[in-house]
Amino acid sequence: MKKILFLIVAVFSVSFVNAQVSGFVFDEESNVLPGVTVVIKSTNTGTVTDVDGAFTIQAKDGDILELSFIGFQKQDITVKGGKTLNVYLKQDIVNMDEVVVMGYSDKKKTEISSSVAVVDAEQLKDVTSDDLGTMIQGKVSGVQVVNSTGQPGSSSQIRIRGISTIKPGNEEPLYVVDGIIGGTFDPNDIETVTILKDAGATGMYGARANKGVIIVTTKKAKEGKPLVTFKTSVGMRMADQGHLTMMNSQDFYNTTQELYRDPETHEIDKIKFYQDFPQSLQQRDFNWIEESFKPGMVQNYHLSVSGKKNDFSYYVSGTYYDEEGTFTNTGYKKLNLRANTDYKISKRVTLRNNINIRNSYTKSYDYMDMYYTYLNLPWDNAFDSTGHARYIDSKTPDWWSRDNINPLHTIDNSDHNYNDFSLDYDLVLDVKILDWLSFTSSNRMSFSTGKSHDFVSPLAAGTFHDKGYIYENQTNWKGFVSTNLFKFNFEKGKHNINGLAGFEVNNGYFNFMSVEGKGLPEGFDVPSVASNELQIAGSNTKDYFRSFISQVNYNYNRTYFLTASYRIDATSNFPPDSRIAHFPSIAASWLMSNMDFMNNMNWWNIMKIRASYGVTGDPDIGASRYMGLFSLNTQYNGNPAAVPYQLQNYNLTWEKTNELNLGFDFGFFNRFNFTVDVYKNVTKNLIVLASQPLSQGFEYRWENAGEVANTGIEFALDAIAVQTKSFEWRVGLSFAKNKNILSGIDKPFYTTVGGVSQIYRNDAEIYTFVLPKWLGVDPETGAPIWEKINKDEQGNIISREETSNYAEATPQEVGNALPDFIGGINTTLRYKNLELFANFVYQYGNDIYNSTRRYMDHDGHEPYYNYMEPADDWVRWKKPGDQATHPSMLNAELSRENSSRFLEDGSFFRLNSVSLAYTFPQQMVKRIKLRGLKLSVNANNVFTITNFWGQDPEVNLQQADWSMPGVSDFKYPINKQIVFNLEIKL
Amino acid sequence: MMKGIKIYLVVMIVALLAVQSCTKMDVFPSDQITTGSIPETADGILNVTNGNYSMFKDVLEFNGFKDDNNCYVRQYFQMSDFASNDIVCGQKTEDPLYYSFTYTHSPDQANARYFWYISYKIINGANTVIEIINGDDKFNDDVSKDLLGQNYFLRANCHFNLLRFYSKSYNDGDPNSNLGVILRESASEEGEKARATLEETYNFVISDLKIAANLMKSHSLNEYASKEAAWALLSRVYLYKEEYNLSIAYADSVINSGKFTLETAASFPSYFANSLNSNESIWSIAFTSSDNRGKFGSIASMLYSDGNSGWGEEFASDSYRELLSENMNDVRWSFIDTLYNDDGNVQTKNGIKVFYITKFSFQDGDPNLSSPSMLRYSEVYLNRGESYAHLNNETSALDDVNTIRENRGLENDLVNSVPSGKTIVDVVLEERRRELAFESSTVFDNRRNKIDLERKYWGYHIKGLTPAGVDQNNPPSGYDELVIPWNDSRGVYYIPVDEIIANPLCIQN
Repeated sequence: MKKILFLIVAVFSVSFVNAQVSGFVFDEESNVLPGVTVVIKSTNTGTVTDVDGAFTIQAKDGDILELSFIGFQKQDITVKGGKTLNVYLKQDIVNMDEVVVMGYSDKKKTEISSSVAVVDAEQLKDVTSDDLGTMIQGKVSGVQVVNSTGQPGSSSQIRIRGISTIKPGNEEPLYVVDGIIGGTFDPNDIETVTILKDAGATGMYGARANKGVIIVTTKKAKEGKPLVTFKTSVGMRMADQGHLTMMNSQDFYNTTQELYRDPETHEIDKIKFYQDFPQSLQQRDFNWIEESFKPGMVQNYHLSVSGKKNDFSYYVSGTYYDEEGTFTNTGYKKLNLRANTDYKISKRVTLRNNINIRNSYTKSYDYMDMYYTYLNLPWDNAFDSTGHARYIDSKTPDWWSRDNINPLHTIDNSDHNYNDFSLDYDLVLDVKILDWLSFTSSNRMSFSTGKSHDFVSPLAAGTFHDKGYIYENQTNWKGFVSTNLFKFNFEKGKHNINGLAGFEVNNGYFNFMSVEGKGLPEGFDVPSVASNELQIAGSNTKDYFRSFISQVNYNYNRTYFLTASYRIDATSNFPPDSRIAHFPSIAASWLMSNMDFMNNMNWWNIMKIRASYGVTGDPDIGASRYMGLFSLNTQYNGNPAAVPYQLQNYNLTWEKTNELNLGFDFGFFNRFNFTVDVYKNVTKNLIVLASQPLSQGFEYRWENAGEVANTGIEFALDAIAVQTKSFEWRVGLSFAKNKNILSGIDKPFYTTVGGVSQIYRNDAEIYTFVLPKWLGVDPETGAPIWEKINKDEQGNIISREETSNYAEATPQEVGNALPDFIGGINTTLRYKNLELFANFVYQYGNDIYNSTRRYMDHDGHEPYYNYMEPADDWVRWKKPGDQATHPSMLNAELSRENSSRFLEDGSFFRLNSVSLAYTFPQQMVKRIKLRGLKLSVNANNVFTITNFWGQDPEVNLQQADWSMPGVSDFKYPINKQIVFNLEIKL
Repeated sequence: MMKGIKIYLVVMIVALLAVQSCTKMDVFPSDQITTGSIPETADGILNVTNGNYSMFKDVLEFNGFKDDNNCYVRQYFQMSDFASNDIVCGQKTEDPLYYSFTYTHSPDQANARYFWYISYKIINGANTVIEIINGDDKFNDDVSKDLLGQNYFLRANCHFNLLRFYSKSYNDGDPNSNLGVILRESASEEGEKARATLEETYNFVISDLKIAANLMKSHSLNEYASKEAAWALLSRVYLYKEEYNLSIAYADSVINSGKFTLETAASFPSYFANSLNSNESIWSIAFTSSDNRGKFGSIASMLYSDGNSGWGEEFASDSYRELLSENMNDVRWSFIDTLYNDDGNVQTKNGIKVFYITKFSFQDGDPNLSSPSMLRYSEVYLNRGESYAHLNNETSALDDVNTIRENRGLENDLVNSVPSGKTIVDVVLEERRRELAFESSTVFDNRRNKIDLERKYWGYHIKGLTPAGVDQNNPPSGYDELVIPWNDSRGVYYIPVDEIIANPLCIQN
């Protein structure tokens, strides 16, 4: 009976005409898509596209072919007699089954119960840089990126969800490369970047994760045939001075006249002025900024080969990056080589080994050279008649600038460079023990060494004239990480439980050595030739870290998810009794869109509610902070000398952050995707340098004191606004608001750098400025006025009054360096093979202390330093009755002392990048035997809208020597750049 | 499945135990000793003592970074001599040293805060050694006793210098109610502590110096303290405290020890470049070539420049040069280096004539290197002379004055009697000023003799002055800063704002 039925069906299916149908499948950018499933609808007949995106299938006219591929929207196409089918698949707005790399383990996007953002390589292409932070700026909600300097080779500062620690030291997030903590990578080798923001996700890294975690995954081979990719970028960079322009001869001459205004008649005594300042000075116009800042070229060349054959896959690449600095004699060059290989040794064992080698060379600059470039007068010519920089010292006549220094001559006669070499070797072994149990051992060995060279020739003017100076510093670092985990995975019906447990060992060894000397013969710049004032220094340190790691993931029917992790860590940085700490975390989510009742509403792609709570920490305070120490780094008349260095504190322990996060993801119509997160992170036992009375002989002691809470909301929207067959407009918006409050501090304490103070007290935000308050200029006298606060004995304010006596001005809280909210806007316009992308970044509500104005807007206190061109609303007081912003130069005592006069609004809106790209169509490309060809042009830092009257409103957030968060000092300006890119695949 | 779970559990427990047994994780610094291990090595206390001396000359990190301008001796000389009428300010500057000229100090200025801090750090180091030696019987040999004495000396010396800058003169009101400084007697005492009275502070210093004198060996090396150094400092302290007989007694002890001789007129001009080797030095701070701060931080940099070596912004004042002009043979002229133009006139900077000062230069021929002398033999004579003068013993006072003059090229111009219009104290003070100008003496000498500060010459101590305002032909008049009363409240520096905030028991000036 069955046989007869079969025959009848067979006859029926044969009776229609069945032909060979072939076609190609591409993505929207005309890249071929291998691995796409092509199925005749409602049947089991199907095939898969090959490495060239081609498929062949037996079908007849009128059959509907259904094409599906992870990350793309399913598409149907009807078979029409004889024609080759070219199908273009559109990207899914929400890639539900996309696998997200979470570090120790990977998860599907739908399974994640935490706040995680993913940026893939495509999204990084609009910015040509060597720094990852610069490339993700404005693209991830809640992540603030600050380029505090435009110096070639410098890294940006990244802050995720505000500031959760106040101790000095490393404030950057934890980096994980290819699943192992630490590591080095080149941006051209990046496949994806995953940013973990809450404890549910960072819980696995708990002990080190309170500043967030950035996971970088480098490229792997995809399918079969070897793929060669060659990318080249060439462009120009120009220094962006923002609103800062220094005066020319004429303007400076006119401004200097203010010093000769008669205090009685309020008229300028021109006769005396011309006597002291000859009129011919107006014709001398030397533009220091133009002569010192010139456009620089940036180049990036990248070549990679990847392929997969049976059990072996490889990715090998090399990148050369060369950035000329815009400031004279600065630049950065880098060579990076990477080889990733995966080898399936047997059915059960996989071996992966990655090696990354990087060598870079930086030509840096001396701060004072930049300082004088801005402040020297336009009346002084740096060059002689042959065009070479002149030697200037205090005996040189006819030099008007305050300090007889010609920075261009100094730069010609000095070198400040740095060479850095690093090597990282990863070895990962994966063993499948049983069906449900496997073992992974991930190991990394890192070596890095750096050498700095600072040299000033005896020919340079200044303190090293006739002496010369050389300083060289060599640092070496070796690191070793070994993580050994057992992983299990059980599935029964709708229940799935998996997890891991194991331990990790992490050691670091660091040493440095330096030499310094003077008395160099002309033309030689190595330490051996230094003949006097020789100094040596050198020491070493180590750190040890041991951890027990575990995590369990449970899901029911892929609808309810629960993740719990538990870590126990021990670090050598804390005293023996408080060395060990525990870090638990738990996260849960409900994928509502997977529920049965939701299946009828097909307009929802994803709807998920998630919550997480966990504890993270930060052990990186440096070694031996709890011991009472005397330092042996000095001598007295050639004898060893020990000097009090550190007060002991055997109670010092971990600071921990309790992180709570609630999130909601939803996507609908396959066109809109929306994520909102609300969080509260409280760091307890903040490690602070607690102020001691100076009369004890110590400034600080390392202590645990106080708490800081970061509360905020993050919001990200990704929408395909318009989508037709050949045109698409996509918009992304992100917004993040963070509020930061300190508590639990017994006695408020201050940090002060260069006379600018910030206070740390209960109920205030971190980085709150404390300065005398500037009230303006007295219209009757032209004198500066500040606010004086009168208090009674209990400290209550009785009255406020104006005073022109700076010593009486009361320091008060006047502003804060942290922004109220930050975010970005991205927009992509795609028409067939042409794509236009723009990225905007915005920041609102932060205050910047414009410390350079004290030197460039000096009210005549420094008559031989140049002034900055004033803003339109600046008015100098000239006679009684004037409403002015700037005091009379004759009555301006202490007017440029630190006060809120120089505290400015740092809000800005910037067009960060614009990128226009053309991907050549496949047919054209195939004719020249290539697999892909793409041409693009990027412009970065196109324009900035800001009220900040200085170089640029992106200001340092790192606490360090000579620098305070929110203070804008003489810095290497950031750049505008325009770059042309070519990408060839074969 | 069960077997799997068992294996799994075993592994977990092993891993847990591995983490728990983390005792071998102590990391000791490679270039620092722990406080507890100082007594354990043979040279521990010697190294800490050398460390205490080194803090006079080193730049230590303060407020998070090393500012080359922050060094004990630099602030010690600048905070005193820039407030005197021996040095004129040639240029306004951002550097807080400017406020010493203008008497516009504030509690947050870096130089005064560093000076306070480093003085107390030296005191902490001294207390550390004192407590170790007093607390353990094994340190009863002569070498350890000498080290103990040196540390008592350093503790007293630092407290006394703090007193000079942060407290009123002994004779300005009642020393039993006027505030002195915070007395630190232990390295581990409570942080919050009030200031002692002026009287208590003087007595503390004197008591320490007497203990020190008994413990220390006799003078041998200039760079270390000695019995005679304690006596010399006692003669100075008693002079300030107006106990003239005691000042004379200790001065006599130093002079009668026979350990020192005055430099002669021929050799004095090179004394400061060679203070470590001279028999006139009682105690100097040793600077080696690796301690050369160069332009950014050497004491000489502000006072002298060869075109490149220094800032060269502060010069010998008209007032001081007028005093020296009484006799052009005075070899003390050799420390004033006039800068001439090509046309033979004195060069001016910002309208002020340039007269460089070279007392802090030329060790090993380097314009920025010297080993500053903190106590020297001629001061002892002058301490005694002034004490005699206050006791109205004219003859003995003039003897001491002439002993100095004989060795300074003025052997033909001795003072045989007090000139009309002056007192014997005036005569001694004038000689003291000629001799000890720029050495942290004049400004305090005037105050303790109730002499107002007169600076009736052009300079940037006049607030608001611009180069256009300098009239070369007429002396300045009508400015507040020209005369400052001897007991002006801003003659005393503010206690650092950091101390006031962290130590509520300390009352501000």
